Amino acid sequence: MEAPQYVAARVQSALAEDDRTHELGVRVDVRGDQLFLRGRVGCEERRELIADVAGEAAPGLVVHNEISVVDVREPGGEEKL
Amino acid sequence: MSQLRIAAVGDVHLGEDLRGRYRSRLSGIEEKADVLLLAGDLTRHGTLEEGEVVAEEFRDLPVPVVAVLGNHDHHSDKPAEIATMLKDAGISVLHDDAVVLDVKGVRLGVVGGKGFGGGFAGKCASEFGEPEIKAFVNHTKRIADRWRVALKELQADRRVVLSHYSPVNDTLAGEPLEIYPFLGSYLLAEAVDSEGADLILHGHAHMGTEKGMTPGGIRVRNVALPVLGRAYGVYCLGEDGEDPDHC
Repeated sequence: MEAPQYVAARVQSALAEDDRTHELGVRVDVRGDQLFLRGRVGCEERRELIADVAGEAAPGLVVHNEISVVDVREPGGEEKL
Repeated sequence: MSQLRIAAVGDVHLGEDLRGRYRSRLSGIEEKADVLLLAGDLTRHGTLEEGEVVAEEFRDLPVPVVAVLGNHDHHSDKPAEIATMLKDAGISVLHDDAVVLDVKGVRLGVVGGKGFGGGFAGKCASEFGEPEIKAFVNHTKRIADRWRVALKELQADRRVVLSHYSPVNDTLAGEPLEIYPFLGSYLLAEAVDSEGADLILHGHAHMGTEKGMTPGGIRVRNVALPVLGRAYGVYCLGEDGEDPDHC
């Protein structure tokens, strides 16, 4: 059985290098046959694409997509320096 | 001298799927800020199509816009073309050089560029060994040298450095320690500390922290969109007691 660290590294590389994603800021953890994705992206479509690419890079694992979509709030108060 | 309100954001990673969404958050920016600085990673893949979305999103704003590119904007090997598109849309794009804007009668000098990695003092790569390692470190050194020269020659009342990569590790807190050398370099902070500036802005570290400081005491702000969680941060430069109505 492949060590989970290598599986996680392969998924992370796929997310960075796949033309559909190019996401560098997603955290990937593998525990047994479970794959967890964490991070923040700009929209729901990108969130789903990440799960697709991760699933293709690690077939057979159950993907838990815990990535959240960044809610771009109105600019708040300024900071005086 | 009037106080200046600097709006800044990085890592907006625009693409066709986000067209128009960011622009809607920029309405009324002239009431909140005097200038908008973009800290790189404006696109996701660095394609011309994404560059065009960025140009449209930040075109014709009522405040001047200054940008640097990030590593994502280089991915399709079209950074010069993207920079030209942005310039055609009225956006100043820095590539290890400077621009001076007249804002409310104050000369605001902005120096910067993409920056690069290498790590932080005591835990960094050196220009030693294989040519690939030497090239990596030398790239950052050359950038830092150009920033030092640009700052030395800068004639301005206020001085802001705009980067994509981080000059300090304070603002990386939250990122895995193992990737710090790919997130920035102390050589950038050293160059700025040697010539002085009022503020350094950067992006790149999505899981980092907003506030930090160089060893020389210059305030550093990580304005990556996922860190800010808001359309842009606003930082007010000025002495205490100056123009209190504005900040």
